[in-house]
Amino acid sequence: MPDAIAVQDLTRRFGDFVAVDRVSFAVATGEIFGFLGPNGAGKTTTIKMLTGLLHPSDGTAYVAGFDVADETEALKRNIGYMSQLFSLYADLTVEENIQLFAGLYGVTGPRLAARRDWVLEMAELTEHRTRLTADLPLGWKQRLALGCAVLHEPPILFLDEPTSGVDPVSRRHFWDLIYALAEEGTTVLVTTHYMEEAEYCNRLALMNRGRLIALDRPAALKAQMTDPILEVATDDAPKAIEALQHVPEIVEAGMYGRALHVMVTDEAAARASIQRTLAGAGRRVEHITVIPPSLEDVFVALVRRGGGAVVG
Amino acid sequence: MNLHLLRIREMVKKELRQLFRDVRTRGLIFVSPIIQLVLFGYAVNTDIRNTTMVVVDHDQTAEARALVDAFTASGYFRVVERSVRPAALVAALDRGDAEVGLEIPVHFARDLAADGPAHVQLIVDGTNSNTGTVALGYATRIMQRYAAEHTPGRTAAGVDLRVRAWYNPNLESRVYNVPGVIGVLVLLMCLLLTALAVVRERELGTLDQLMVSPLTPAELMLGKTLPVAMIGLIDMATITVVAILWFHIPFRGSVLVLLPAALMYIVAGLSVGLFISTISKTQQEAFMTMFLFLLPSIILSGFFYPIRSMPAFFRTITIANPVRHFLEVVRAVFLKGAGFEALWHQFVLLAVLASLMLGVAIWRFPKTIGR
Amino acid sequence: MSPHRLLAVARKETIQLRRDPRSLILAFLLPIALILFFGYAISFDVKNISLGVLDRSNTNESRRLIEAFTSSGYFTVTERLARYDDADAALADGRAQLILIIPPDFQKNLDAGRPAPVQALLDGGDANTATIAQNYADAIVAGYSADVVLAGRRVAPPLVADARVWYNEALESRNMIVPGLIAVIMSIIAAMLTALTIAREWERGTMEQLAATPVHRLEVVLGKLVPYVGIGLFDVTLAVVAGIVIFQVPFRGNVILLAVMTFLFLVGALGLGMFISAAVKSQVLATQAAMVATYLPALLLSGFIFSIATMPLPLRLITYIVPARYYVTVTKGVFLKGVGFNVLWPDAVAMIVFATMGLTLAIRAFHKEIA
Repeated sequence: MPDAIAVQDLTRRFGDFVAVDRVSFAVATGEIFGFLGPNGAGKTTTIKMLTGLLHPSDGTAYVAGFDVADETEALKRNIGYMSQLFSLYADLTVEENIQLFAGLYGVTGPRLAARRDWVLEMAELTEHRTRLTADLPLGWKQRLALGCAVLHEPPILFLDEPTSGVDPVSRRHFWDLIYALAEEGTTVLVTTHYMEEAEYCNRLALMNRGRLIALDRPAALKAQMTDPILEVATDDAPKAIEALQHVPEIVEAGMYGRALHVMVTDEAAARASIQRTLAGAGRRVEHITVIPPSLEDVFVALVRRGGGAVVG
Repeated sequence: MNLHLLRIREMVKKELRQLFRDVRTRGLIFVSPIIQLVLFGYAVNTDIRNTTMVVVDHDQTAEARALVDAFTASGYFRVVERSVRPAALVAALDRGDAEVGLEIPVHFARDLAADGPAHVQLIVDGTNSNTGTVALGYATRIMQRYAAEHTPGRTAAGVDLRVRAWYNPNLESRVYNVPGVIGVLVLLMCLLLTALAVVRERELGTLDQLMVSPLTPAELMLGKTLPVAMIGLIDMATITVVAILWFHIPFRGSVLVLLPAALMYIVAGLSVGLFISTISKTQQEAFMTMFLFLLPSIILSGFFYPIRSMPAFFRTITIANPVRHFLEVVRAVFLKGAGFEALWHQFVLLAVLASLMLGVAIWRFPKTIGR
Repeated sequence: MSPHRLLAVARKETIQLRRDPRSLILAFLLPIALILFFGYAISFDVKNISLGVLDRSNTNESRRLIEAFTSSGYFTVTERLARYDDADAALADGRAQLILIIPPDFQKNLDAGRPAPVQALLDGGDANTATIAQNYADAIVAGYSADVVLAGRRVAPPLVADARVWYNEALESRNMIVPGLIAVIMSIIAAMLTALTIAREWERGTMEQLAATPVHRLEVVLGKLVPYVGIGLFDVTLAVVAGIVIFQVPFRGNVILLAVMTFLFLVGALGLGMFISAAVKSQVLATQAAMVATYLPALLLSGFIFSIATMPLPLRLITYIVPARYYVTVTKGVFLKGVGFNVLWPDAVAMIVFATMGLTLAIRAFHKEIA
């Protein structure tokens, strides 16, 4: 089976600024493929090129077998798209929005009725079909937007930060829907900056400053991490982090709530150094434990290794 | 061009739903024609009726009173103040209480009866040059007639000008202004409803959602503009009916002449609206651009500032203004019953301008949505 | 109320203004551009009226009459007609506005001392131009008549009217337009500027931020007002100078009086703009509302061009709530009439009422929204 999406050296420049820099990857049919990175990393620009909204400056990309540069008409019939902004019409009712997009995608007759009912049921909006979209809670709106994006049963679905601003419960619910779609064979390309969301993806591409810096399964990405990470709990996190600034064994330290996550070169040596330094600074250490790296730790480490800074 | 009827139909349906659901747009569509009709039917009035007048009569004779009566009987003048003090006249004009002052000296009646010419002083407030000019003309004519009636035999028979005004025999400015509202209103609708609607979709991100669908830019253009064209035509019909039934404006021509001109004009207006949407990032910018476009187009259209009186430079510019040509057609059709043979060159210019503007819109519009 | 906090708000507003090119253009460039544009483009002076001639007499006397028309400077012969039936078409397609028809027995009548009727057909469509053209034609024929008929016969005319025009002696429309224009433009600019900048604060949420500080809402309103009043005074100064220097409009009144009145007007107009923006809280809406609330009323209901006295009563009553009405009276009064406070005090009172109302409304709108 050919790849659903095949991207080679895709580049987009805006004047002197390179928003997407020679990105290459392939997505298999039925895969949930995640794009992870801070705002401004180039995720949205990449998606806009893949959906035919933006013309690539360089490189090639095939989506569902169509060249995104000049087979846009055929391309558009085969994809669904949902953007980070809620982009249905707030002043139309739920049903009117569905009808509009059905018309635009050529879904008519008995298929229209079937698809409309399916979307309403999927989004749990059957009872609210005549309500103005503006009056719905954000989580419901996003479900409707997803429904409108898959009305025409596209083989490939693009989701650009679909859950931004949505509460965790609705987010979870939304991901159930995405899994269901993927199980039926839909290829999903989704961008996010929620790290915990990225864990749901089959494979993950990490982007920073327009470049693809890593691409693998989430577990494999975490396994790549060789440096251990310590969680250090103290009585005063900000003062502690300041005190630890010049400890040689520390690669990177960051605050996570009241605790610090500290990436170190050597676990045993670092433990001792940290204990000593903090005691010297008059801080009380509650505990120091080794923790498994999160995707965020992986991301930060990868960016470090590349010698760059995280934008955003 | 590959147009898909179903997609256009859905877009038109969606646009109409949005247009009529929004309170503001509904107000714009229904209320603004009424406001404009009232304003231009009643307020924009250059007719001289009841011009305010102050009279200082030093003579206090029957003849003097007859002269004042001649003024008031004409219907053009209304006496608001009578006095015997010249200072009252000055004060009334200064305050703006009166626009015309008539001072009749002592011995007026005596001089009129005798050989010597009787003098009166007439003072016109020129602040409003327009009404000033007209009032001065009327006053002069009233006094000539008065002289002819009161001193028979002494005025020699001369050349007697009999003026007949065609198309608008009572010279009412409303007859000229009300049909003009059609041109202004239709343009306003075309600009506001297209430019703002497109830019709003861009601001909200719904434009992207449309552009990832199979909808083509041409279909989007049609979907956006067809409903507005319909509203424009409905507004036009409404104003025409109100003009005829309420304001009693004569409609002497044929709708079949008006309609093709209106369609070309609407195409021109919609094209400008689309063009503005391509150069504006926000609704705010679109609104300002529209204002900057609308202002000169209306001022240089002859809507209420006569083109003939403009300096040559501005007169030349008006040739590129579709509003001017459309207004000429509308007024000629309403008042003169003109047909194609009298209006062919307005039609040619409208056609040329509309196609030019449409060309620019078709060229720019697809570039600025999406890619 | 603390002058310190008030100044802080004013300073912040000035800095923001300085950094926003769009507002700067609106504040400084647009007013002067509008004055120049309107001042040059608009004129009501009726000249070059196109004259069609059907001379069926074709004698020396008839040629002299036509000559009298052309040498007046108001008429240009554009058509020489051969038959009466051509008159219809010449008027209908606008080749002539006035058609002079001299009957075959014109000279015979004159020689015999009988009244010699001459007919004129007038395109009455544009009532204003037509009325003025008619007056000119009347005056020309009367003058010709006096020349020809009375030539050689020393008959004194029985009634002589010493007609004089005050304030705008040559009845030039520019003198009417420029002072009124200052009022119209300032109404629009004031409302738009505040609508834009203050609605922006609501949109960006900085207004809530401001409300969280100890600053009193009166201080917010006044502090914001300060820079705009400054800009407005600057604009008016520029416009007045342009009016005097470029357009040669006489300035007969007192500068200080104009300055004080301008200040009162600006406070009211800006207050209105602030009220609108606080009430709708969106830049797009605020500009549109400001436009609707100021542009048409200032243009049409202020007495700028269309005399209020000729409007029907309901509209006349509405003009009392149009602030521009009072300011138009002031600018025209100070420029052309050179009148002082003794005449303009009612307008001053009205403007004080408006300023108070504008500020109160603005402050109350702020209060409600922030609380």
